[in-house]
Amino acid sequence: MKAARYTIHLISVLLLVLWGAVMLYFYTSGRIIQYLPPDGIFRPLVLWSGLGMMVLGLFNLFTMRAKEADCGHDHGEGGCCGHDHEHHSDKHEHEHQHEDGEACCSHHHGHGHGHEEHKHEHGCCGHDHAHGHAGHSHDDEAGHSHGHDHAHGILNESGLAGKVFAIFMLAVPVTYAAIKSPDRFSEFAVMNKGVYDQNYGSTARADEFSLKRPAAARQQTTQQSQLPAGDAAPGLTPAVSATKDPQGGIMVPTPSADKIPGAEGQDVKSYGSFTLQDLEQQIPKSPDGNFLLEVPEIYYTASDKEVQSVLTGQPIETIAQILPEKGELNADGRRARIFRMMVQCCAADARPYSIPVQFEQTPPAFKNMGWVKITGIVDYEMQEGQTIPVIRARTLTEAAQPDDQKVY
Amino acid sequence: MVERQEDATKMQAPVFLGAAGWIHCLKMPVLVRFSDLSMFLATLPEPSRSGDVLMAFLSILFEGAPYILIGTILSGLIDAFLPSKFLERLLPKNKVAATFAAGFLGLIFPVCECAVVPVVRRLVQKGLPLSCGLAYLLSAPIINPIVVISTLTAFKEFQDVSGLDTLGNATMTIARITLAYVVAVGFGIFLIRKKPSQILTPSVAASVERAAAGGAQGGPQGFDAKITHAMRTAMRDFLDTAMYFAIGVLLTSIFNTQVPQSSIQGLAENEWFAVPTMMGLSFVLALCSTSDAFIAAPMDVFSNASKLAFLVFGPMLDIKLVFMYASIFRRRFVILMSITIFLAVGVLCEPWIHLISLLQNK
Repeated sequence: MKAARYTIHLISVLLLVLWGAVMLYFYTSGRIIQYLPPDGIFRPLVLWSGLGMMVLGLFNLFTMRAKEADCGHDHGEGGCCGHDHEHHSDKHEHEHQHEDGEACCSHHHGHGHGHEEHKHEHGCCGHDHAHGHAGHSHDDEAGHSHGHDHAHGILNESGLAGKVFAIFMLAVPVTYAAIKSPDRFSEFAVMNKGVYDQNYGSTARADEFSLKRPAAARQQTTQQSQLPAGDAAPGLTPAVSATKDPQGGIMVPTPSADKIPGAEGQDVKSYGSFTLQDLEQQIPKSPDGNFLLEVPEIYYTASDKEVQSVLTGQPIETIAQILPEKGELNADGRRARIFRMMVQCCAADARPYSIPVQFEQTPPAFKNMGWVKITGIVDYEMQEGQTIPVIRARTLTEAAQPDDQKVY
Repeated sequence: MVERQEDATKMQAPVFLGAAGWIHCLKMPVLVRFSDLSMFLATLPEPSRSGDVLMAFLSILFEGAPYILIGTILSGLIDAFLPSKFLERLLPKNKVAATFAAGFLGLIFPVCECAVVPVVRRLVQKGLPLSCGLAYLLSAPIINPIVVISTLTAFKEFQDVSGLDTLGNATMTIARITLAYVVAVGFGIFLIRKKPSQILTPSVAASVERAAAGGAQGGPQGFDAKITHAMRTAMRDFLDTAMYFAIGVLLTSIFNTQVPQSSIQGLAENEWFAVPTMMGLSFVLALCSTSDAFIAAPMDVFSNASKLAFLVFGPMLDIKLVFMYASIFRRRFVILMSITIFLAVGVLCEPWIHLISLLQNK
């Protein structure tokens, strides 16, 4: 049953090459930038593992015949497989099976798999599986190797239904997703991920987006979110690279430190003050004099009273995606909500960071989830016990979708 | 209709411009041809509910598959090149002591939860005692340098640790590592008397018995044969693990995008439900252990104890892992293991975080 064994081997190679091809395609087409963050090793890993799968698949393709040579000879005489062939190594046994013919296979195995059992593409030396017998009987000269190598492997040892299922699960979802993935989330996902359910008190990544951080650090972050596929900063994971910022986390005063600047020691002292000059110095302006800020930057000002006092009333400009405001938060119908998706590790863990936008009248028509440029004045209000930033909008214009749609 | 098409073309342009620039940066002219190819593909589909699932599916796949590949190539190499008595020599003779030691293997041999499954399966087949295999399987995704660093970062514990005397300030990180160690090793010891056939799938159990009986077996001889064997095993292991992985990731993507996350948060405020809720969340979200701390840290409504439960339970058990474990263990055992770990983490997390916070330098 060489043919059957080869068939499984070939299918395995094809599946592996398919996975490799999908990974390489997403990497080289650049679509990967919608899925994985630029820093850390995730994107390069897709390239290397895609290549790895290709190489592994091709290697196995070219050595497909080697197996018999290697294994058959090596342990035909009880080398590595010796231990498990009490019955195999017995010539009679083989002849027996031959006589029984194919019909006997299934009862021999006791699994009822019939011919499928012969696909012992198991490499060599291995297992003493009862179902190995039939394979032997057909492949005598090749020795016992085929029958008994690693019986693990769904493609090798399961029944026909199991094989079909395994091949289906390995081939279909990944292919279908590669063809049908829109590379961006719909509004359903954004809502399920909590675009209307924001916790402005959170300081989890505040240090990366705080306006108080040094200009150099700030530039780095904004560049990352604006440049296409910002080139992978060296570092192990996003986690690791984030820690490289020596000021990491220090710039976010705790509420108590907020009230008594400097009370916590030099950490707070060095960043304890934030003035309009700091803002002017650190934040670039648009030609019309609006501060160019990202939504997460505005979002995180909600946990920093000092920045709030400076930023309140300042004109800003930001590019983000837009959705209508939720009913109960939009009593007068003059609000919309802008957001950016922020990713830790892969697009599946993206969370929307959103802020409400207040218009003079009913907001101009916009396409849900569309990209817009908003200019307006920053303000703060209390809502359900938390301070939230609100943009009092002056203009809303459609904007081109940025290359990197997510903030990492 | 016309309008829609326009939108679609608008979408495309920047994506591909970005790609071209990006590849140029990496100086890989050979591969640019691939990116040109994609120009011929139809424009991207409009976002939809099913598109959300596919997007989440692919992103987790891209994140996890490289590690599975690393794990399975390692597994193939172990199978072909590692002498079967090697592990016995490496670990203490005493099974209990060996299990305690196996809990630390992740520090030397760091792998996340996707890569550890094929490696453990192979090591167990090679004769690693089951208790050790379980201790390594459960602890390695947490007790490894990368995860330690990401936990420290996410919980902002780096700046509180200036030296050995302030080490206790990294409460969450220390609590996570120690609780994971206790649960993993405890579970290994709990099963120390079990026979492989009671726990492992028949085919894995068979090779364990063979390893025990024919300890002297050498595997294929000669380097060429060995490398062929290793690569073949790697391919088989990869497809095996990847199939279970694909099922798990598909389910996780559905939860991830189709279930409102806020529906879960309502339970957070309840003292009794917070911990099981967070464990349930870590189960359905199936995050990579290198990044889960970043997801847990901002969840301010949850107590530290429930975050700890999230961080310890998730890497040990989640949707994709349940399916991946099915490639090693009998189904009944996977269920037993799930319940045991759930109860152990659930009961211990609260007292544990209090205990560890006593170390804090105030």
